[in-house]
Amino acid sequence: EERPFRSASGAALALRRRQHSASCRELAVRCPHLQLRSLSAATSAVWLAAYGLFVLTENSVVLSAAIFITLFGLIIYLHFVKIDQESLLVIGSLGIQVTSSYASGKESTTFIEMSQVKDVVINEAIHMQKVIYYLCILLQDPGDPQGVSEVVPLFQSSKPRLDCLIEVYKSCQEILAQRKTAPQSS
Amino acid sequence: NSPAPLPERAIYGFALFLGSWFGFMLYLIWAYVPETWLFSLGLTYWPQKYWAVALPAYLLVAIGIGYILLFGINMMSTAPLNSTDTITDNYAKKQQQKKFQEEAIPALRDIPISEVNRMFFLPEK
Repeated sequence: EERPFRSASGAALALRRRQHSASCRELAVRCPHLQLRSLSAATSAVWLAAYGLFVLTENSVVLSAAIFITLFGLIIYLHFVKIDQESLLVIGSLGIQVTSSYASGKESTTFIEMSQVKDVVINEAIHMQKVIYYLCILLQDPGDPQGVSEVVPLFQSSKPRLDCLIEVYKSCQEILAQRKTAPQSS
Repeated sequence: NSPAPLPERAIYGFALFLGSWFGFMLYLIWAYVPETWLFSLGLTYWPQKYWAVALPAYLLVAIGIGYILLFGINMMSTAPLNSTDTITDNYAKKQQQKKFQEEAIPALRDIPISEVNRMFFLPEK
């Protein structure tokens, strides 16, 4: 099922929940596509500035440089910055997999073993000039059963709001609760 | 350590008042009176009059930069989203559990974030 939500900055997101089995769930947050108006605005700004420089310096290299900068900038932005979808795959006895897919098609994945996962919580922290809610995985400290060794924030680019995070949180907790009721060593 | 008025504080206040007026008058005299007049009085070892304008200018620019600097320092010392400082700190880790007593208000303690989350977000009702 797919449901619409909003990000912390107001952009429209979509949360898709799929249940593969009783102990395996996939939650994916889809970010809005690159808007044509922001792309044309950025391109026009760069080209106007380059034309202004050309009028000042009478050097046509400035114009070619502006074209190359725009092209390369767009490619780098799509490949390294613009995230299309962030997904969380929770497998009850195995672990949690976090995938980010970029607009150019690149996917970067991180897998965290279930024995390292202490809990998945919604934390609030100061980010820039705002206080935002964000979902994070708490990693177990090997020496201290109550301690947290590391915090892994999730959905960093899409930054969904609290209602979306509560849905994801409830889904994750249903699966994490299973490992306490049925502990099997394997 | 109360901030109430005391005789010693009144004397300190008055001494500071007189001292600041004297300092201000000295600054005005140094800035405005021509050098030849001061030399004829025998007072020759003064700093350059350039500083009478330069020091206030430096001070105002420093105050303006101070606003921006303070804002920047605050942003830099905010814990990033992936640090454990957003969840706990030394005092919370070392806190001791008090024994639970019947019909008494439970002791104040730092509740772990997992418990807080369960209480806020899990109950359906």
